[in-house]
Amino acid sequence: MKRSVPIVCFGLTLLWSVAASGGETLDRINKQRVLVGAVDPSYPPFSFLNDKNQMDGFDIDIAKAVAARLGVKLRIETPSWEVVTAGHWRGRWDVCICSMTPDKQKAQVLDFVVAYYSSPAVLVTTAQNAALTTAPDISGKRIGVEQGSSYERFLQKDLLIPTPDGKPLTYFFDKVRIAPYGNEDLAFQDLSLGAGKRIDAVLSNYGTAKLRLDKMPGKFKIVGDPLYNEPNWVAVDKGDTEWKVLLGQIIGEFRKDGTLSRLSNKWLGKDITQ
Amino acid sequence: MQTTSPIRKGASGFSLRVAAVWLGLLLIFAWFVSSFDLDFSIVFDKLPNLLGMELSSEGALQGVPLTLLVSVGSMIVAVLLGLLSALGRISSSAIAYGVATFYNSFFRGTPLLVQILFIYLGLPQLGPVPAAIPAGIAALSLCYGAYLSEIFRASIVAVDPGQWEAGEALGMRRRTILARVILPQALRTSIPSVGTMFISMLKDSSLVSVMGLWEIMFLAQSYGRSSYRYVEMLLTAAVIYWILSMVLEVLQARLEMWLRGHA
Repeated sequence: MKRSVPIVCFGLTLLWSVAASGGETLDRINKQRVLVGAVDPSYPPFSFLNDKNQMDGFDIDIAKAVAARLGVKLRIETPSWEVVTAGHWRGRWDVCICSMTPDKQKAQVLDFVVAYYSSPAVLVTTAQNAALTTAPDISGKRIGVEQGSSYERFLQKDLLIPTPDGKPLTYFFDKVRIAPYGNEDLAFQDLSLGAGKRIDAVLSNYGTAKLRLDKMPGKFKIVGDPLYNEPNWVAVDKGDTEWKVLLGQIIGEFRKDGTLSRLSNKWLGKDITQ
Repeated sequence: MQTTSPIRKGASGFSLRVAAVWLGLLLIFAWFVSSFDLDFSIVFDKLPNLLGMELSSEGALQGVPLTLLVSVGSMIVAVLLGLLSALGRISSSAIAYGVATFYNSFFRGTPLLVQILFIYLGLPQLGPVPAAIPAGIAALSLCYGAYLSEIFRASIVAVDPGQWEAGEALGMRRRTILARVILPQALRTSIPSVGTMFISMLKDSSLVSVMGLWEIMFLAQSYGRSSYRYVEMLLTAAVIYWILSMVLEVLQARLEMWLRGHA
């Protein structure tokens, strides 16, 4: 009998955490008058440290708008991606408006509320590279991606995301050699050595690629049309259904009243939220 | 020391020539870096933040002061843990020896990043939800305490066993001999190794940024990415760490000299 005590304790804890979760997040936010948002610390122009040493960007502005709508202040925290996507936040963060693409693995530990924008995946190579003109040219080439990103999954032909027409993604390439990097900057550093030296191109999203092209003129170019469109969702910790519904309504309002379009135009120069 | 000091004393202008070698090596390093085609203008904009001269917009410590807080706090706790664990290692109690060796083996044998995440993500599953700074200090001090315990144990064992016998002959208790005779000598010989550990910890403390702490490496990487001047910012962080390490080296040398005078 003694042995079962820890198991009972564990069971009770589990029960308690499930029972206490209805609307718990909103209660906490209202009590502390603060919405705590987790974001990626460096994902310009969606979230990054600006010249004033503050987190800024498209994702941050949306989080600010949500906080304003709730009538509370916003506090931004920047835990690493691994920590956020491990789930089990235990009240540390209320929401992650952080350009997250849902997949089967993440959906097991996080709840996805609503898609708020869709980012085109684009191929970037050096400005001089004439060997890559359309996306299918990547067959047999060496392509840099951020480790653990959806772009890596795509090149592995293993990306399961909802598409607009409901059809699975088409993998139009063969024998691509994947070069995963700890972060995109290292991939672009290698690409700038010259196409083919270490890698031939980098697969990334339009938003971050466009900004890099603008900031470093004459070095890189985007190859052809986007490869596919990737939905980005608002994510929350598992369990609090009321909070999930409320957040979904708020983002829905922002879509209707033009807030999302305005912020998208402000940060990306075009509307990627439709 | 005994073999090198006569040579040093005999050579005139030794320190001058050492300075010349340093200058030469620094110039080679500067030439190597200058070949990277870098633009350092951004560095001066961001330097005050890296040095942590202001609090972050959320009112938290950042940059150098945060790195120092985490490192110094962890070092103090680590020294205590290391001493305790070293005493456990030389203890005749099976429990003390068992706990000390298990602790030592686990925290020396597993990656520091895993330990940090274990504490930060694992503890909340049991109940307490530690904040990032305490979790970081806990992980760093547990890990480095295990390394230090080996250093302390080796220094204690290295003290001539005759000293134990002499103490016993004088009718002193084992505990008194340890506290009054053995440990003062052991700690003095362990200073260089402890100093090395401290410098190593200073840099390992950058791992706490996974919990969202804005220490030196976090800021350098974030600024580097948002300004597309990644290598420049990393080099700046490297120089800051190097200067901090040199300050520690000087402090360590002072401490050694001071202890030699008080032996």
